Amino acid sequence: MLEIKNLRVTVGGKEILKGLNLTINDGEVHAIMGPNGAGKSTLSYAISGKDGYEVTEGSVFYNGKDLLAMDPNERAGEGLFLGFQYPVEIPGVSNMNFLRTALNSQRRYQGAPEVKAVDFLKLIRAKAKELDVDPEMLKRDVNVGFSGGEKKRNEMVQMAVLDPSMAILDETDSGLDIDALRIVADGINRLRGQDKSILLITHYQRLLDYVVPDFVHVLADGRIVKTGTKDLALQLEAKGYAGLGIAENAA
Amino acid sequence: MTLKRYLDTPEVGKNFEKRKAGFAGADQGWLSDIRARAMDKFMAAGLPGPKVEEWKYTNLGFLARFLANENFEISKTDPDTTEIKMLFDRAYMGNIAGSVVVFVNGHFNPALSSCPDEDGVKFSIFSENPEAFRQSLAEPKQATSLNNLNRAMVTDGYYLEISAQTTMPQPIQIIHLATSGSDGRSLHTRGKISLAAGAKAKVIESFMGPDGPQYWTHMISDVDVAEKAEFCYFQFQLQGKQAIHMTEMHSTLLEKAKFNHMNLQLGAEVSRSEIMNSLSGEYAEIDLRGAYFGRVKQSQDIFTRINHDRPHCQSNQLFRGVLDAGGKSAFQGKVIVARHAQKTNADQSNKNLLLSRKAEANAKPELLIYADDVKCTHGATVGELDADQLFYLRSRGLDEAAAKELLVEAFVAEVFSNMQSGGDMEILQQRFTEKTRGWLSQEVSS
Repeated sequence: MLEIKNLRVTVGGKEILKGLNLTINDGEVHAIMGPNGAGKSTLSYAISGKDGYEVTEGSVFYNGKDLLAMDPNERAGEGLFLGFQYPVEIPGVSNMNFLRTALNSQRRYQGAPEVKAVDFLKLIRAKAKELDVDPEMLKRDVNVGFSGGEKKRNEMVQMAVLDPSMAILDETDSGLDIDALRIVADGINRLRGQDKSILLITHYQRLLDYVVPDFVHVLADGRIVKTGTKDLALQLEAKGYAGLGIAENAA
Repeated sequence: MTLKRYLDTPEVGKNFEKRKAGFAGADQGWLSDIRARAMDKFMAAGLPGPKVEEWKYTNLGFLARFLANENFEISKTDPDTTEIKMLFDRAYMGNIAGSVVVFVNGHFNPALSSCPDEDGVKFSIFSENPEAFRQSLAEPKQATSLNNLNRAMVTDGYYLEISAQTTMPQPIQIIHLATSGSDGRSLHTRGKISLAAGAKAKVIESFMGPDGPQYWTHMISDVDVAEKAEFCYFQFQLQGKQAIHMTEMHSTLLEKAKFNHMNLQLGAEVSRSEIMNSLSGEYAEIDLRGAYFGRVKQSQDIFTRINHDRPHCQSNQLFRGVLDAGGKSAFQGKVIVARHAQKTNADQSNKNLLLSRKAEANAKPELLIYADDVKCTHGATVGELDADQLFYLRSRGLDEAAAKELLVEAFVAEVFSNMQSGGDMEILQQRFTEKTRGWLSQEVSS
């Protein structure tokens, strides 16, 4: 269970999150929507511990543990996964090497034995196949020369291999064509099927046609201003934020 | 421009007089003459001071200590064979077949060596056969003051000659060890490698010593690569923490000759690697690559020069530097394209990574192009680790040290880009990575 209470976050001296409350129970899928500048990405970075996102007040607990007191890698070890809006290119590091190092780092943190090279190969091949990813892509350097869609699919491969208990997906649907969107949605649903928690941060309700959330929240001006079910997303789509009385660019 | 510096003490000249009777080949008149004349020239010129452009990043004041050291006797067969064996085991790559030649404190060590003995290969040791070095000592490729000092004081060295159309099946490992007994000593050695037309050879040269003593390794090598010959050279500089490491390699390439040079500079307090090359035949190709690492008082200096003297030649230079707190580096790379050297292709890339705000990297590309139909590129950067890349790795579970290590390794691995792989190359690359990792995992002690 993820519990965020009264979270206030400052970036570069400017307050972006202004007392955000959110609870996600195990196995639930929540979607956060909101106008540009509302603080959606800030929320994902603050939960995962990126430098420069200063928490000035409030708390984030995951399964009873204080996430804010942990390094980013420890948060990952606790089962947290952040799907990046803009996955980073890392020249000189192959996807395989990266994923194996990541998986074994998490396993060490969890006190589990490292995965053997052979077993890792089997695992990664199986996951690549499930997500319709060319195994050749895994030999290439992390995200280098990948198209936008390939990068997002690569995030899904990483998520599938690392098998988190809580995934935060920051605009994972942006820049995807309809086929890629289906594959990504499929990856998310696969995780969901295993009773994992998911926080979808999205701009459009398009993804929600494929991954139906249990709850939809509207984030505006650093706070959650409205909570509902999938219908809320449809209303937003039809009427816009202004139509629901939410100011665009309130931040 | 005055060169004369650091030689105010008359002990330097006196020391040479005292030592000369004990030098290798002291009974050979021609050699004693060369030594005496070279010493005169050195004394007249002195060591290059910081006002000499090529030496502006490296202050040589500390060398006076070695030159004035009266306690120069260093036993040729060090009694501490345990230490020698330990150092040898660290430097020797047992997984590479082929002959091995070992020098200890600047002297050939027959016990640990198994010199090349193949058809078409001639191998000579200076202390056993100075005559073989007569021409290279009499007509040095460069007569700088340090080169003169080396000719005057040379303790030992090797000469590898490969006959025409001969391919050496295995690489030769040349290992230079310094022991604890080398403190305060200067070890002046020479190498000469010559490949006749169509010959092929690979040499791996390693330098290793303990962290305690302050010794000065000073090695000068001449390399001649004749028509269509191919020479591949690796240098692993793994000297002790207080060592002074200075190597100069002068190569000359004739028509369609190829020279690949890979250089890893990891140890020593002060290190300077000079790689001077002349492309003296058409369609010659040279590929210089390397990585250097520095932290805590360490200074790494790479100095390259490529003379494009003939048309249609290619040169490529790729150097990467990693500097942590207190480390300092200088890359000075000069490319000179002569007026008639049309259709020259010359690339140079030098990137530096600073792991701390207390590190310093100097990069000085220098291109002198006198021909008008050439393609020359150069790029030099000094930067830090990318914060977004670091966070991306950490968000996937890598701790800070592991994430940094992965990024630094990837940065350094660029020196292997577009290189043939497999066989020895893979072993060498593994060793390269292993040594890099070893350096990264060391605690910064101040």
